[in-house]
Amino acid sequence: MATTALTPAATGTRSSLYEWLTTTDHKKIGILYLVNSFLMFFIAGALALMVRVELAAPGIQFLKEDVYNQAFTIHASVMIFLFIIPILAGFGNYIVPLMIGAPDMAFPRINALSFWMLPLAAILILTGFLTGGAAAAGWTSYAPLSEAKYSGTGQDLWIVGVILIGTSSILGAINFLVTIFKMRAPGMTMFRMPIMAWTVLVTSTLVLLATPVLTSALIMLFIDRNYGGHFFDPASGGNAVLWQNVFWFYSHPAVYIMVLPAMGMISEVLPVFSRKPLFGYKAFVFATAGIGALGFSVWAHHMFTTGAVYLPFFSFMTFLIAIPTGVKMFNWTATLYRGQLTFATPLLFALGFLTMFLIGGINGAISAAVPVDFALHDTYWVVAHLHYVLFGGSVFGVFAGLYYWYPKMFGRKLNETVGKIHFVLMFIGFNLTFFPMHALGLAGMPRRIANYAPDAGWNDLNLLATIGGFTIAAGMVAFLWNIFVTMRSGEPAGDDPWEGNTLEWATSSPPPPYNFDHLPEIRSERPVFDARHKLSGGGH
Amino acid sequence: MGAVPIRSSSLTREGSCLMSSNRLRIVGFAVAGLVVVALLALMAVAGAFRLFPPTPVTDRAHEIDGLYHFVFAIAVGVFVIVEGLIIFAVVRYGRKPTDTELPPQVHGNNLLEIVWTVVPTIIVAVMFVFSFNSLNKVDAVANTTDVRIRAVAAQFQWSFEYLSADGQQVQFEQLAPEMTVPAGRPVHLSLRSRDVIHAFYVPKFLFKRDVVPGRENVFEFTVDPADAGQTFRGQCAELCGTFHGSMLFTVKALAPADYDTWLAAQIEKARQSPPPAGSAAPGQLELQLEAKDVKFDKATLEAPADKPFSIKFQNDDPSVAHNVAIHDSTGQEVFKGEIFQGVDVRTYPIPPLKAGSYTFVCSVHPNMTGTLTVK
Amino acid sequence: MTSDALTVTTGAATEGHAREGGISNVILGMLLFITSEVMFFAGLFAAYFNVRATAPVWPPEEFADKLHWLPTAAQPIPVVTVATVLLVLSSLTCQLGVSGIRRGDHRALVRNIGVTVLLGTIFLLMQAFDYTILYGEGVRLDAGTFGTTYYTLTGFHGAHVLGGVIMLSVVLYRAMAGQFSREHHDMVEATSIYWHFVDVVWIALFSTLYIIPNAA
Ligand code: HEA
Ligand code: HEA
Ligand code: CUA
Ligand SMILES: [Cu+2]
Repeated sequence: MATTALTPAATGTRSSLYEWLTTTDHKKIGILYLVNSFLMFFIAGALALMVRVELAAPGIQFLKEDVYNQAFTIHASVMIFLFIIPILAGFGNYIVPLMIGAPDMAFPRINALSFWMLPLAAILILTGFLTGGAAAAGWTSYAPLSEAKYSGTGQDLWIVGVILIGTSSILGAINFLVTIFKMRAPGMTMFRMPIMAWTVLVTSTLVLLATPVLTSALIMLFIDRNYGGHFFDPASGGNAVLWQNVFWFYSHPAVYIMVLPAMGMISEVLPVFSRKPLFGYKAFVFATAGIGALGFSVWAHHMFTTGAVYLPFFSFMTFLIAIPTGVKMFNWTATLYRGQLTFATPLLFALGFLTMFLIGGINGAISAAVPVDFALHDTYWVVAHLHYVLFGGSVFGVFAGLYYWYPKMFGRKLNETVGKIHFVLMFIGFNLTFFPMHALGLAGMPRRIANYAPDAGWNDLNLLATIGGFTIAAGMVAFLWNIFVTMRSGEPAGDDPWEGNTLEWATSSPPPPYNFDHLPEIRSERPVFDARHKLSGGGH
Repeated sequence: MGAVPIRSSSLTREGSCLMSSNRLRIVGFAVAGLVVVALLALMAVAGAFRLFPPTPVTDRAHEIDGLYHFVFAIAVGVFVIVEGLIIFAVVRYGRKPTDTELPPQVHGNNLLEIVWTVVPTIIVAVMFVFSFNSLNKVDAVANTTDVRIRAVAAQFQWSFEYLSADGQQVQFEQLAPEMTVPAGRPVHLSLRSRDVIHAFYVPKFLFKRDVVPGRENVFEFTVDPADAGQTFRGQCAELCGTFHGSMLFTVKALAPADYDTWLAAQIEKARQSPPPAGSAAPGQLELQLEAKDVKFDKATLEAPADKPFSIKFQNDDPSVAHNVAIHDSTGQEVFKGEIFQGVDVRTYPIPPLKAGSYTFVCSVHPNMTGTLTVK
Repeated sequence: MTSDALTVTTGAATEGHAREGGISNVILGMLLFITSEVMFFAGLFAAYFNVRATAPVWPPEEFADKLHWLPTAAQPIPVVTVATVLLVLSSLTCQLGVSGIRRGDHRALVRNIGVTVLLGTIFLLMQAFDYTILYGEGVRLDAGTFGTTYYTLTGFHGAHVLGGVIMLSVVLYRAMAGQFSREHHDMVEATSIYWHFVDVVWIALFSTLYIIPNAA
């Protein structure tokens, strides 16, 4: 029998606020991440709606130019640094130790520290609005615009905030890597780990290698701004394009930091709701690693128009990176093939991911053709691309994961009907908002403008996008309603409501403090599936 | 609990799952249907909805347009196939009430993996070769033309320096954000920034290039001869500060002969010493207006109807160009003063205006505006 | 609980989640942390080489004779060179401390880590002294990209030395309190790895800033 070295299940105790504030339990920290990230999502989403209202018609109606620039800068910064990256880390925190049969993360206190840096960073970045203007140089903060001569103190707050978030990510990545390398349950070999764990592993490696470079760039910018440095100041021997090189050296790998764990999540959802194993498990592992490795060689595709990078190389590498992602697309599709699909909400969101990320990936590949990017760069085409991958990909993935694991986290299933309403509104709203942006970009509408000429021919599509934005917001209201309804009277989930494959379904919902009383035997990447079908004699 | 309870509970769960599964599938299809309808409606609403670039007007633009069509065709092909496979699987493989046994537990297929690695590799290799070829044409700089212009960008204005054939001298500087080029002759454009990064972008050129402080980017293009007489919209495409969105310019293509005449006239004008500050005729109203930090110091001005008057305009922004132009309520320009760089002063004589409300604006900085009330 | 029902009990299901053998969590964590630090310095170095490559002459004329590591008339014993020697030495003493505790020799640990802390502190003091000299000569943070890169690179290295000295002091304190043993001294190992890393960074910096420009 298993030893009882671990504390037995202590369910039913209600945690006090104090416990939440001081917890080092990876599950509670995971939930803190999720709650904080969703709060940030709503703040950034509200800013996006303000942007959309201003753009609904030509002219300046609602936000003056300076406020507009702050609005989209903080929208993007919060969405990326305080929503999507942390929420994926949050899922990783909650799920990965469970999936690999570990009692907690390797360094629980550092784990708590990583989390608590985030609200602090959020406060810093957002207080810019109260102290004479938040950062307004875009989330990319290109120098020299972000230098002291052209930007106010909001930029400094932004720099410090992003350094904090980066440090939080780096500590988190170390924690994930040690946990995955050292704390797997007996029998859980690397090639039996769920794909979700693999994606977190690769993501953490990317964080470890890329984020410190961003930190160095931010520090250089800070020195330029506050101590008379000249890194990015061409007038004194500095180099304006240097910022872009260092920033994108981080930020391109970062876009995979923003999507790989979401890919991991749908790689868990699709097999469960198809009642089939994931097609091509090893191909997934290699493709994920391949994306990670190639991700470091394409950064200059954001700089094609600078005239300062060697175009053919970066164009070629950017085309290449379509291949491992394509391998994943095909394997996901093959997982559905000849399955028995149950269209529960998690599957709908996962299918949303597949169909929408495909569009985002392909329109990314189109801009890998350098001359075409000369036309498309810094137009709404790029805004369309980034939302199709980030929203259509990552955010759909996040909701797939949330509907899937919510029962595990809280012991109740989210309401299916409201969930479907949420999905439908979000899916339609998303396409209404962002699909027209392809046409706007082609027609020549630059990004980051508050105002456009009434006779430029962009009015209708902009109005449509604004309507779409509010449709998404309606979907989010449905989502909040769902949480509310479920908290009051959600259907109890039981331990394994979806007939899951992976270890988290082998413990109670929510799991006890150290996760498992007993673990099933692990002989494949689907230990709980194996156990279920051996016991019930079904299947093969 | 042992093995037996979970077995039964899993069976009942399965039962309920199956009952709703059909209904769920219908919801799924409804979703897909709705989206298709929504997208179609979208296309209909916007007559301007085109997934293609605007009609190209330069040699390079034709090249890029061709490449876009090629790449886009491949993209659509890939999209239709992959999306088709997904939709097929979704429509075809919904769980049926009879599905109590597990489907075949297929774990993978090496041949398929190879196919869907190799085929996309070939596709992207082809895309790369084509775009590489185009790139060489688009980026080619022959450096033999005598039409040499330097676009100078600064927060938030464009000006254009017309260089001598050897590129060494500035023959004259066009301070208004209007670039005039000959159609059918290669133009060599170099880009210079006085502060932050901007980008020179003309949608109908299907082209943009960053204007980076500390480095001079160059490129060449030839406007189609057929487009002589046309004016194209241009705009800064790199976030450069608060009024990035107002950093507009135009490109006007002239027939070569017209261009030569125009150029000679401009050079001649520049050779004459700049007009004196001038002073108002005695007895005439002189309004004071000042520009500082790319703002007018007054939001409103007042003048008598049907009488000439003058505006004494002080430009306090060192080496930034401003002027005063007056637009009537329909947006029609009724007066446009000379654009000049600060720090300097001009007195503009304004013709008699009818009573009404006008706006005064800086032609270089459309965000600098105020109201002129004439009564 | 159904989780019980799903369990196919194995003898070792939850036993000893930390793998036996291999390196400990703390040391692995430190190695990973150092990886991220390498990337951080790589960013700074990249910036340095970038501005250096775009500069017409390097070092710029007005700073041509400011950084030297070989004796000159004005400075017969160059401060940096001495500091470098001391820092390299401190890596050695640190390692001696580690091998001490690996044998279970507490006195060797305390003595050697003590010396290491001392050497590290002297390095910092010498660097501060060097800064004052350079500042006096007009090499300032805002003096062109030369000053900016010099102080940023050496300053961040100095901050890491300071961090290392603090970590070593904690190790020293705990060693004196007898908290380490032959079997349990992960923190000593991890700290020493970090200290060696700081040393290596300095050697890279020293070569880049002092030796290479003057060699050419
Ligand atoms: C989750 C985030 C994410 C992801 C995953 C991606 C994925 C990709 N991105 Fe994207 N990108 C962003 C986020 C992301 N991007 C953001 C935020 C920006 C804007 C930054 C800013 O300026 O603010 C940006 C900008 C951006 C640019 C710069 C545009 C410009 O400013 O001019 C380019 C240019 O090449 C690009 C390319 C790509 C490519 C080729 C991929 C590929 O990885 C996609 C690969 C996937 C597929 C191609 C689909 C599936 C594949 C198949 C079905 C196989 C067959 C396919 C083919 C043969 C084509 N991206
Ligand atoms: C994860 C990343 C992410 C996500 C999810 C989003 C989500 C959205 N984005 Fe964002 N966006 C970016 C990342 C993201 N964006 C980035 C990186 C940029 C580039 C910035 C730059 O140029 O620097 C950008 C830029 C950008 C622009 C271009 C601005 C410009 O260039 O001038 C626009 C314009 O429409 C836009 C719109 C939206 C909208 C409408 C949503 C919606 O999907 C938001 C939906 C969410 C909500 C609506 C909030 C929740 C709802 C409620 C709380 C309900 C009740 C509230 C109300 C009714 C107010 N975004
Ligand atoms: Cu100039 Cu934007
Ligand atoms: Cu990228």
